[in-house]
Amino acid sequence: MDLLVVSPYGVQAIQVLTVLLGAPLVSGFISHVEGRLQGRRGPRILQPYYDIIKLFSKETLVTNDSSWVFLAGPIVAFSCFLTVPLLIPVLTTFPLPLGFSGDILGGGFLLALAGFSVALSGAESGGPYAQLGASRAMTFGALIEPTILFVIFAVALITHTDLPYALSATIRSSTSQMVRPSHVLAAVAFFLVVLVDTGRVPVETHSGTLEFGMIDEARTLEHSGPLLALLKWGSTMKQLILYTILINVFLAPWGLASTGKLSSVVLAVGALLVKAMVVGLVFAVIDNMFSKLRLFKITEFIASAFLLAVLSVLVFYVGGG
Amino acid sequence: MSVLVVALVFLPVATALATWFAPARLSQNLSIVVGVASFAMALALLPRASHSTVTAGGLLRIDALSMVFLLAVTFLYATTAVFAKGYLAPGATANERLYGRRFYAGLNLFCWSLIMVPLVNGLALMWVAVEITTVISALLVAIDDTDGASEAAWKYVLLASLGLGIALFATIMMYYAGTAVFGASYSLSFSTLLSGAVHFHPDIVRFSFVLAVLGYGTKMGLFPVHTWLPDAHSEAPTPVSALLSGALLAVSFYAILRFFQIAVRTLGPTFPRDVLLVFGVATLLLAALYLLSQRDMKRLLAYSSVEHMGILAIGMSFGASIAVVGVLLQVLAHAAAKGTAFYGVGSVVRKFGTKDMSKIRGGVSALPWSGPMLVLAVLALSAMPPFGIFRSEFYIVEGGLSELHDVIVAIFVMLVIISFFGLSWFTTETMLSEAPVTVSPQVSGAVVVTRGEVSYWIVAAMAIGLVALVILGVHPPSSLMHLLDRAAAELGSVR
Amino acid sequence: MSSLPTTYDGVAAGLSLLVLLTEFAMLRAPLLRSQVRLYAFQSLVVTGLALYVAASKHVDELYVLAALSLLLKVVVVPSLILRLLRDADTDLAGSSVVGTASAILIALVVAAFGFFAVGSLHVNSSSLPTSSLAIACAIVLVAFVLIILRSDVVSQAIGFFSLENGVSVASLVVASGLPLIVDIAFLFDLLVAVVVFGVIMRVHHARNATLSTSDFDRLKG
Repeated sequence: MDLLVVSPYGVQAIQVLTVLLGAPLVSGFISHVEGRLQGRRGPRILQPYYDIIKLFSKETLVTNDSSWVFLAGPIVAFSCFLTVPLLIPVLTTFPLPLGFSGDILGGGFLLALAGFSVALSGAESGGPYAQLGASRAMTFGALIEPTILFVIFAVALITHTDLPYALSATIRSSTSQMVRPSHVLAAVAFFLVVLVDTGRVPVETHSGTLEFGMIDEARTLEHSGPLLALLKWGSTMKQLILYTILINVFLAPWGLASTGKLSSVVLAVGALLVKAMVVGLVFAVIDNMFSKLRLFKITEFIASAFLLAVLSVLVFYVGGG
Repeated sequence: MSVLVVALVFLPVATALATWFAPARLSQNLSIVVGVASFAMALALLPRASHSTVTAGGLLRIDALSMVFLLAVTFLYATTAVFAKGYLAPGATANERLYGRRFYAGLNLFCWSLIMVPLVNGLALMWVAVEITTVISALLVAIDDTDGASEAAWKYVLLASLGLGIALFATIMMYYAGTAVFGASYSLSFSTLLSGAVHFHPDIVRFSFVLAVLGYGTKMGLFPVHTWLPDAHSEAPTPVSALLSGALLAVSFYAILRFFQIAVRTLGPTFPRDVLLVFGVATLLLAALYLLSQRDMKRLLAYSSVEHMGILAIGMSFGASIAVVGVLLQVLAHAAAKGTAFYGVGSVVRKFGTKDMSKIRGGVSALPWSGPMLVLAVLALSAMPPFGIFRSEFYIVEGGLSELHDVIVAIFVMLVIISFFGLSWFTTETMLSEAPVTVSPQVSGAVVVTRGEVSYWIVAAMAIGLVALVILGVHPPSSLMHLLDRAAAELGSVR
Repeated sequence: MSSLPTTYDGVAAGLSLLVLLTEFAMLRAPLLRSQVRLYAFQSLVVTGLALYVAASKHVDELYVLAALSLLLKVVVVPSLILRLLRDADTDLAGSSVVGTASAILIALVVAAFGFFAVGSLHVNSSSLPTSSLAIACAIVLVAFVLIILRSDVVSQAIGFFSLENGVSVASLVVASGLPLIVDIAFLFDLLVAVVVFGVIMRVHHARNATLSTSDFDRLKG
């Protein structure tokens, strides 16, 4: 096995495939654990795969009033989610060839584009719940954007570069980096961002479909068939991508492959999935500990995340901390 | 000599303790005796302080600058005690006796804390002393159990404590500036700081000075942190108002002057003077405008205090030695004038039963002695000759013109004239107007009273104040002028 | 930055940051009781910071100071105020002039101003990193915002006490060698101030049966 070295392009392809194929696994694991914590048996860990396969064989129903946007939205989102893994450190410590085509701002932009197209297609369908979900998602998305920007600034300031690879290198260089206040603040702020963007408690619950609180769930209510499959798949991929950024850029960038050897690549894939499942476990525990916030309180929550992100930048500026 | 200093520290505290237990009449007389004794002790220390500094232990220190403020405080201690004897009738009910005990203990304790501020040696101890004055005076403001008093006391204690929090920050920053010269641990005594001040880091001293002006300026009544002042000074019992206006604002100014002294040595004279100028002009402007629209007598006098604090700040910003002498002379004269004015207002309030100026007419005819004396005191506040404030403001203007601050001097004179209008409206309306016996009371809403003094103790206190003002205005004693010259030199002013 | 900060700097700055975050949390705490508890927690963190500095930099006087401030600020002051709240028994929820999110944003702008004001001073201290002084300045400014935006006496008093906490952090940064007697004088003063605050709060409550300052508009002009 040691004789087999994968070329950088191959590693990059494996990165995309890992995210593509591994995302539903992580999502299924989280739902299973959540169920267990609530005293139920929980759904099968592989359930999301079965759901996606089932949906591909169903027919697509489209309302009379919607246009090509309704059909294009899920496809645009899905392609964005396929592109982002090219830019972030998923499996390796060294930047891969296509990784220079966009920095972390570019990654953020692509994620925002994906969210926007899904919301647009939902709003376009004319269904009341979809429009409700789309407008709410866009509102909160707009509020969380400044936080993401400041987190990116913090990362950029610490490493003097926009490339996420460099920050993970800095973290790996010495553990005392982890206790730097600006790093801790940026990490916590990003954690909260992930919480909002993947729609977990206290922003939104996954277990029911209450129209009082639905945000992300509601956007996809009007889609069906393969398009719905793409949407579901895409949302699990988005979750895994955000987890990956959180893990590999902020929290625990170990276990990444430093060379192109096949064994280390395989190890990296396994390490990533395991780490993602641990993070998912944390989110599941939080899910069961706290209750959902009322919608107008979510702005407070986002303001707190924004606060942490801004403080991270400020502390860095003033004290080099 | 140091025995006197130590006596100045212990005597008022002991008196406060005694008045808590003693019967009312004894408390009153004891307070008067101790007040007069304190003033006498201060006068005895004056010649020595004009030449060098008097120290007792490492903790107490009197130089020329602190002597000036010590004189102002002890003078007001004595006259306020006399006034209080006439103002507060010793009551018979248990409530009134409790009020009397609290009042006299508080009064003596307050005067003790006011004496401590110019006496202590060091920025940190000075902060502690000013904090003590705040807490005691807050309790005294609240002692009259009315709605207005509780509101005023809360605003006062909150804002003053906030200001002192900032002043603490300033003290700490100044300490930090000194660590570069003296090492990590040293005492904040004035002589130490002044000797090393030249080597301090200028940015830090600048930061510390601005914080100190903001922080101690809150207690002094500078704009924009003066908002508690009219409320507290008008709702407190009148003897306390006299001390607040005449003495407490002065010792807060003393605290700023100590920072000024250090900052001038580090930064040169320009920056500290500019800071004081900005605050001074803003304060004077605000006070002058508000003086034109007052209806409550004590609030009017409170705004007049704000005006004079602005004048003091502007005077310091002129920098010429004659201007600084004028500022210090004004501290003394303002104490005497404001005290006398408050005593007169106290007499009027006792007579007419209200503070509202629209209800008071014919003050001079109702109060044959204190009425005219109140008019004279208010004229003194407006810088009318032959009183002391005329001389001090004249010196300030002279100093400003000699340093070519012509524009500022012009603004200064204009604003002082506007304040004069405000004060004179009060005088003519309430004091010099016709007594309401000849005018129908239902029409004018004025209170009808019988002619006669409230108490001759009040008259005595006012007379003492006016005599002091005349002395300061016509011919201040040469030893006093010598003291003021030396204090001005200590503050680093140019000839 | 060419040099990375040390672990000591990181932990110290982190603790100071925790104090600042507690200050922000007070902005959103709705109940007066939770504000008092947040203040107790904040004082605990400040005491912890003092102990950390004392242990790492071998300044023995700070141990005494830490013990006294623990006793005073974590135990005595909060219990005094909680007793007042219990006796008052009327208003338990604080009041704020603007909504929480807006308050946080205002406080953030103010804190940023404080950061940059202090950062321009180039303070280099041996006891704590520069960021701690900037954080202390931010704490003081956010405490001001808290006092301005709240309209009841207890919130305003807690705001004042947390301002003192901010000044304590600043003194740890720049004046850790301050003579012990001076530090004790400061603490004693704080105690006296607390007592006076308590007296006046009780007077206010006795007269108006409320802890709110919204009708403090009798004296105007």
